[in-house]
Amino acid sequence: MPGIKNKRNEMLLTIPSAGWLILFFIIPTVLVVAMAFRNADPYGGIGNSWTLDTFRDLGNPDYPSIIWRTFWLSLVSTAVCIVTAIPAGYYISRLSRRYQNIILLLVIVPFWINFLIRIFAWKVFLHPEGLFKQLLVMLHLSSPESLLLYRTEAVLIVIIYSYLPFALLPIYAAAEKFDHHLLEAAYDLGASRLQAFMRVFIPGIRQGLLTAVIVVFIPALGSYIIPDIVGGPSAEMIGNKIAQRTFVDRNLPHASALSALLILAVLLPAAIGMTRRFFKEKNSASLGI
Amino acid sequence: MKKTMLFAVLCAFMAGSVSMCGKSKKELHIYNWADYMNPKVIEKFEKENGCTVVMNYFDSNEALYAKLKAGAQGYDILFPSSYMSKIMYEQKMLSEIDRSKLKNLKNVDTGFISRGLDPYMKYSVPYMVTYCGIAYNKKKVKNFRPSWSMYERTDLKGRMTLLNDVREVIGAALKFNGFKYNTTDDMELQKAGETVIKWKKNIAKFDVDEAKRGLSSGEFYLIQAYNGDALQIMDENEDIGFALPLEGTSISQDDFVIPVNARNPELAYRFIDFMLEPVNSKDNMDFVYYLSPNKEAQKLMDSGFMTNPAINPPKDVLLKCDFLIDLGENNTKYSDLWDKIKSAK
Repeated sequence: MPGIKNKRNEMLLTIPSAGWLILFFIIPTVLVVAMAFRNADPYGGIGNSWTLDTFRDLGNPDYPSIIWRTFWLSLVSTAVCIVTAIPAGYYISRLSRRYQNIILLLVIVPFWINFLIRIFAWKVFLHPEGLFKQLLVMLHLSSPESLLLYRTEAVLIVIIYSYLPFALLPIYAAAEKFDHHLLEAAYDLGASRLQAFMRVFIPGIRQGLLTAVIVVFIPALGSYIIPDIVGGPSAEMIGNKIAQRTFVDRNLPHASALSALLILAVLLPAAIGMTRRFFKEKNSASLGI
Repeated sequence: MKKTMLFAVLCAFMAGSVSMCGKSKKELHIYNWADYMNPKVIEKFEKENGCTVVMNYFDSNEALYAKLKAGAQGYDILFPSSYMSKIMYEQKMLSEIDRSKLKNLKNVDTGFISRGLDPYMKYSVPYMVTYCGIAYNKKKVKNFRPSWSMYERTDLKGRMTLLNDVREVIGAALKFNGFKYNTTDDMELQKAGETVIKWKKNIAKFDVDEAKRGLSSGEFYLIQAYNGDALQIMDENEDIGFALPLEGTSISQDDFVIPVNARNPELAYRFIDFMLEPVNSKDNMDFVYYLSPNKEAQKLMDSGFMTNPAINPPKDVLLKCDFLIDLGENNTKYSDLWDKIKSAK
């Protein structure tokens, strides 16, 4: 039967990518989670026995504020990235090919500069004696004593800056494939511009939106360098805590438990989404749709 | 400035490695703090021994330890602070020192190191001694007092930093309250924690290397810093001053140590012995502005260097200073307190 042969070809084709994922994603993740159940010795070694103490330690009363900060920073930055990337993606996709290419190039060019250097550039930009600050003071938008750096807002701005292109590219790709005649059809059927945008365009680029949310939210959740460099004494995120557990406290199991928590926070919504889709497809298949 | 210096060091190494190209010379791999050794002295060593010195840098003892504990190999010499050398020795990560290979060991000031953690140089040879203190901008900080109480000054709010270092920050607060750096007493630690939480409201951030740059660029007015780092900035910027707090502070000694898996221990010994030679030790002191416990080299130094209280503190200040010791199991007391400090509002 040709079906079986197709299946086999399909399997052969997925082996490289599946192997890659198993080797570099699944095995390390399992190791990290497993390490969280090991006991720690005070010299940075990993003990020989299994324990649940590390997870009990996650009840540490100092964690909720850090976890909460990590989540709201990631959520707000994802929301801002998506909301700004949708109109931008829409307009870029409406431009002529030539301008599209130029604008895409302009979006990508900053990536030629190292990520760290771009963050350091923000430090220069927001420097308390810098031009931008002087401008704000001149316009009476800021007092000479107030500081722009080392606060949670600075972390938020730099996260948004860093991940905005990642939101823009998939949304643009989806918008570019979107059939814009559908919007005209919607107008003909009496939809206002806003209605057409919200009820026809947005669902039409759903896949791009989903990708954008994932590629912004997940790295934002794991931010470490950004709060480390532009954040103040109260801007720690989970990533900084994991680094502290690894380097300063020499407690790898605890660092692993925190990482496991992060992985769970990322995988859980993805798993729920996938099961829901699976059942939806199954249902529609059985209904013969 | 610092960056130019780093650049110069890099260039020196690059030039060095290019000229050695193709001759397959012996390589000595060193893992060191940044800006912590005079590149000219290293060049001299390379020439005399016909080898190449490859430098890598770490920024905290903990990072060094974590990397080696995770199995990093290929380094011939490391520069941990003595509390870290001690753990590494206890964890069997370091070789014992073979004294017969170091003819210049006699130059070491044994009187000084007898207060340290390895008084008989069993597994480490002292390189430099560092003190933690306060560096500040003389133009911006009015009525400076050499005291940890500076961190209570609200007029400097947002313009001060503390080190991003559990032991140094909590230690400063312990000293401020009249306790010792290595205490494990819960009440004393709690008191120190409350002090740091109060200080935290006035600081911009906890930072090590960026704080130095911030001080010289006018971003910060007052930072907690190691003496040599501060003196290096002072050399370039005359508005900067430095003082050791009256309440006392920490002394750290950074050591030469040889890891057990060193590829080239013979060359490592030659390097250490070379650095113990008075002339070379002097050149290093002139470059890093730290004091080396090397009697013969100290005799060669300018009198200004030796009488500078920031480099060679007077006896009464010294007596109030403590050597940092690793606390083993009790380290968790400090990391728990650090968590509390970091999450405090």
